[in-house]
Amino acid sequence: MRFVDYIALAFRNLGRQKLRSFLTVLAIIIGATSVTIMLALVTSIKSFFLQEFNATGQIRQIAVTQATDLTYGQARYGGGGSRSGVKLTDEMLGGIKKLPHVANASPQVGLYMFDSVNYKDKKLSVSNFQAYEPNDVLSYDVIAGRNLTEQDQAGSVTLTAEYADKLGFKGQYQQLVGKQITLQTVPGYTGAGANLPPSPLAARVAEPPPLATNLSATVVGVVGSQTGQAAMYFPLAWARGLLQTQDWKVTNGKAALVATDNLAKTGYQTITVAADAAENANGVAQRIRDQFGVGASTAQDFIKKQLAIFNIIGYVLGGIGGISLAVAAVGVVNTMVMATMERTREIGVMRAVGAKRATISRLFTLEASLLGLLGGVLGIAIGYAMVTVANPLVNKQLAANGISAKDIVILPPWLVVGVIIVTTLIGMLAGLYPARRAAKLNPVEALRHE
Amino acid sequence: MIQLDHITRTYRLGDEVIHALNDVSFSVRPGEFVAIIGPSGSGKSTLANIIGGLDRPTSGTVIVDGNNLSKDRDTKLSEYRNHHVGFIFQSFNLQNDISALDNVMMPLLFSKIRRAERRKRAQECLRAVGLADRMKHKATELSGGQRQRVAIARALAVRPSIIIADEPTGNLDTARGQEIMTLLKNLNKKGMTLLVITHDLTVAKQASRVVQILDGRLQERKV
Repeated sequence: MRFVDYIALAFRNLGRQKLRSFLTVLAIIIGATSVTIMLALVTSIKSFFLQEFNATGQIRQIAVTQATDLTYGQARYGGGGSRSGVKLTDEMLGGIKKLPHVANASPQVGLYMFDSVNYKDKKLSVSNFQAYEPNDVLSYDVIAGRNLTEQDQAGSVTLTAEYADKLGFKGQYQQLVGKQITLQTVPGYTGAGANLPPSPLAARVAEPPPLATNLSATVVGVVGSQTGQAAMYFPLAWARGLLQTQDWKVTNGKAALVATDNLAKTGYQTITVAADAAENANGVAQRIRDQFGVGASTAQDFIKKQLAIFNIIGYVLGGIGGISLAVAAVGVVNTMVMATMERTREIGVMRAVGAKRATISRLFTLEASLLGLLGGVLGIAIGYAMVTVANPLVNKQLAANGISAKDIVILPPWLVVGVIIVTTLIGMLAGLYPARRAAKLNPVEALRHE
Repeated sequence: MIQLDHITRTYRLGDEVIHALNDVSFSVRPGEFVAIIGPSGSGKSTLANIIGGLDRPTSGTVIVDGNNLSKDRDTKLSEYRNHHVGFIFQSFNLQNDISALDNVMMPLLFSKIRRAERRKRAQECLRAVGLADRMKHKATELSGGQRQRVAIARALAVRPSIIIADEPTGNLDTARGQEIMTLLKNLNKKGMTLLVITHDLTVAKQASRVVQILDGRLQERKV
């Protein structure tokens, strides 16, 4: 029998019991759709996660900390941990930048001198102020305006969408760009721009209360957050001034202000180092650990761990979908066994006029495979439709959370091909037993079958 | 040429061994019209099935047109049936939900013939049995006599040298039955070997030779 004839005959036979074939295919469609959707979701989350790591350059970054026992996540997002180890100095920063495979590095430090952020009548308490050296190492997703640059000095900040929302700019972040906000310091602040207490030698009526200072800053950009945490970002150049303390010192009867560079004293909280390529990140981290005795961790382990978690989720979800496919396979077996029973006489006639056992077997296997193929193709089609519908909804949700990524739900080609192959194979396997049954029928008895 | 040598065919029915054919030797020359008669259960269908390559003897040799059917495996037997034998059954055994033409084309599926050629041959065969105007009809839309003629056309499609008809008139009234017999006799006249299994003596009388099977044993009968 020629291949095209097999296909045509198989289709004709399936068409003879339209309702039954449809119901059998429907079960496969349900299984294929659920597998498709679940795996598409996991794949999308995975690729979105990797994309974000790539886009922000984190995939090739090393977080350098004083503490030597931190994971990447703790080092990068946990504020750098204790400051009991080797200080992260400018000298070290220079040394790191000179290491082979290091593209650049950006030191960071947290700022704790602010009490609140005010804009017009809005006053919000902000707990996460981060300063970094704006270069190509750290670049946040820009939602409106721009990232900080090396030209930015005192008075420029960026903030994440969450803070922008609280300042009353939800959904109109562009409006916030260029606006002046007021940063109110804690009382007793004596850094750059502070309202300093009067000289101790000046005539005074009573002990002056500790003074708070209002500093003004221009919002140059609204950016995405890498951790989902709200944050306000400062250029490092400004942070040095903000972190300094000024004290009156009286020598020889004269009072003078003495400034202390606290940043130099404590060192940086973390230094984020960018390797020239992702595959060199681990090597560079090792080098930094060996050479400077500091903690250095890469995103790679973190990514690996995250991906492993996603994979497990994928297996579980895929398994749930797989169960429905298994149920569908039982449906195929049932349908095909029924078909062999109903068509016993027909099989007898086919054998009498020259069909081989192998021909009958192939025909039934093919019919079952076709059920699987149809279910797979239609399941993918429905999955595709669902993805198409889901993306605009997800985009809305992402935008509302200040994430600039779009159309993240994807149906990768391997999944499309994979699902179709798997359902076809399932159909084929489910057809093997009925096909064997049909082929093994004794033609003489089959012809006598009522 | 059909040659059967000491054919025995036994079945197991529970603990009982049934001799459907018991040491039967028998030969048919090309172009002969042989009627095989006998009561039901006598083994005449078994004989026909063995000659048609549908069944194999428990012992003995069957050689038809040079094919050793007692030795050949399923694949070869299937090819033999597909090239040498046309089966006609009492209950027609047509596929009811497809057209007469599709029914007749069916055996040609298994000889790897292209669809256009299959159609052409099937049309010829249907014309030969006088059903040129019924090709598109489904079996359920045809009368009993017409159905049996479709079955004959199907048997003819593979251009067989032997036609084996098992009670071809059993489901038909006398007039329709006679039409079918005339059709079969005409095919026989064109050179096809014709084996008709029947218990109807008016059918058997039309054969050039009659053999009777009784309790698995074969004997020639004068008509």
